[in-house]
Amino acid sequence: MSDVHERLRRLLFLVPYISKHPGISVEELARALSLTPDQLLKELDLLTMVGRPPFQPDDYIDIYVENDRVYVDLDQRFSAPPRLTAAEATALTAAAELLKPAAGGALQSALAKLEKVLPADVRSRFRDMERKIDANVQGSDEFAPLAKAIFSRREVTFAYFSQGRGAVEQRRARPLELFSHRGQWYLHAYCLSRKDQRLFRLDRIRDLALTSTPFELGNAARPTVPNPAGAAGEVKVRFSPVAAPYVRERFGQTVRTMPDGGAEVNVAGDSERWLVQWILSFGGEAEVLGPDWAREAVARAATTAAPKAC
Amino acid sequence: MERTERLLDLVALLLDAREPISWSELRDAFPEDYQASSDEAAERKFERDKAELLELGIPIAYVQGDDDRKDGYVVDREAYYLPEVGLSPEELAVLYAAGSAALASGAFPGSPDLAHALRKIGFSAGTQVPTPRVRMEWGAVQSGLEQDLGPRLEQLWAATASRKWVELSYYSPRTGATTSRRVDPYGLAMRRGIWSLVGFCHLRQGVRTFHVHRIRTFKVNPFKPKTPDFDVPRDFRLDDHVASYPWQHRIHSPVPVTLSLRGEIANLAARLFPDAKVQSAGSCSEAIVTATYVDGLLRYALSLSPDCTVLAPPDAVERWKQMAARILQAHRSRPAALGASA
Repeated sequence: MSDVHERLRRLLFLVPYISKHPGISVEELARALSLTPDQLLKELDLLTMVGRPPFQPDDYIDIYVENDRVYVDLDQRFSAPPRLTAAEATALTAAAELLKPAAGGALQSALAKLEKVLPADVRSRFRDMERKIDANVQGSDEFAPLAKAIFSRREVTFAYFSQGRGAVEQRRARPLELFSHRGQWYLHAYCLSRKDQRLFRLDRIRDLALTSTPFELGNAARPTVPNPAGAAGEVKVRFSPVAAPYVRERFGQTVRTMPDGGAEVNVAGDSERWLVQWILSFGGEAEVLGPDWAREAVARAATTAAPKAC
Repeated sequence: MERTERLLDLVALLLDAREPISWSELRDAFPEDYQASSDEAAERKFERDKAELLELGIPIAYVQGDDDRKDGYVVDREAYYLPEVGLSPEELAVLYAAGSAALASGAFPGSPDLAHALRKIGFSAGTQVPTPRVRMEWGAVQSGLEQDLGPRLEQLWAATASRKWVELSYYSPRTGATTSRRVDPYGLAMRRGIWSLVGFCHLRQGVRTFHVHRIRTFKVNPFKPKTPDFDVPRDFRLDDHVASYPWQHRIHSPVPVTLSLRGEIANLAARLFPDAKVQSAGSCSEAIVTATYVDGLLRYALSLSPDCTVLAPPDAVERWKQMAARILQAHRSRPAALGASA
């Protein structure tokens, strides 16, 4: 995409936006356009030169900054931004599809309304482009009610299958954010049962219910999903040359390459269940070198893998 | 005059005009730009400007005159302005949540377009736009290379949208080799946090899927950027070519595999295997999964041990037992036996 294109599009939005928010501060306006204040001031400078031939004083866009606030004299020509382009409609639809089908009916109806306002020629280009992006993050059925609970700030209750404990537990929580990491959805919430912030995997939540208890939003830090690999990890894992390239791809610098083409990684040992599952998922291409408790746990799990129908 | 400025002036002029503006009037209005060169060069310059304006969604058109009006260029004001979309607060909230999360992820094709689309739909909502509470982080990117993914997706998306071939060198962790190939990009897909490019591979003479983070270098056909190089087949669907689950590899033939699930995961069968036929009886569930990548399914089944058992077909059961035996052997004997047992 050319700079001219990007810039023009920004400027055509800028004038109506200032008309709508007269006296908006330079800082706020810059933020709305994802620019720095300096970049914004340059754009405003350019706009003062824009007008229509024959370029008499009244033919220019009358835009000015006073005490760090931006004003434009009512300009009928630029009272609203231009319509969505095919590319804009495509990107917005593709992003919205990320939450489909989990986000429910609101998303579907929003997209239908958007498509309806596209002019006919744009719509056919949009339809052609739209099938070229297909991003899906597989939200579960809990997504829509949780999003609703987050927006309306209501406490929720659910049964949670805790992998670490291997058991289902009843939880009550204040939902803060839905968070997708490496294709896995999490609920970031303040868990009232544990009196602490937690990340819950959406696919392990069952029997979700919204309560009528409201809560106030505090300043919760955004949690991250810890990277299990690191020099400090107490469990040493060896990978065969077959699995090594995938492990290197995943963990990068923290992987040690072995002379035979295999790889070694240290990972955290705080969840035995996670560790065992992870090792087993390599189907024999990964081996725990130590400590002994971890080797034994993997051996125990592998022993039980024999056809036992219920 | 700078091009951005000229284009804005053109828009201002056309939006303001009460009647069509002829080519000679345009030339008089912008003498430096449309008169300084030969007629032909000036016309081409204006054509380029017009194309840029159309690309921006500005409905500029040439109208033939009649008794009432003269020939010339017009911008249809009705079609220019963003109309009231009439989104409910809930609809706006979910579009904002999705769009902002995609932008914040740092890697989404058409990010600049997405940013503008969000601004536009937020225009009528004013300051009432809700704060998004959805966040996304993609995975499967080698540490340290995350920042490359966004710009790379943009370039691949530009090639996809304008149907230009790309020449790419592609790394395969399976063979460890990097191959060069020419690909007609049909589309971009994301599953389980991984972005893929799907297109016709001239090396393999078929539709292939490439993980974007495994593309080492690429270049887009630099010739005739406005002329498409290929057509995308009408019946092409991205979803047919990307794996949504570890047991899929879309170019292999499907095999039905029967699994038995016990304990806590018995109730989660339909969640763990969303595309499977699931039957539950008491504390036990049976799932028939259609696998196009059986080893992927077996490894996944192993990770659910001891609560998941492979029941059929016999060769899958055999292979699953072999994997388990290999793990057991490696972890019962002295450490680092893995190389020896392979």
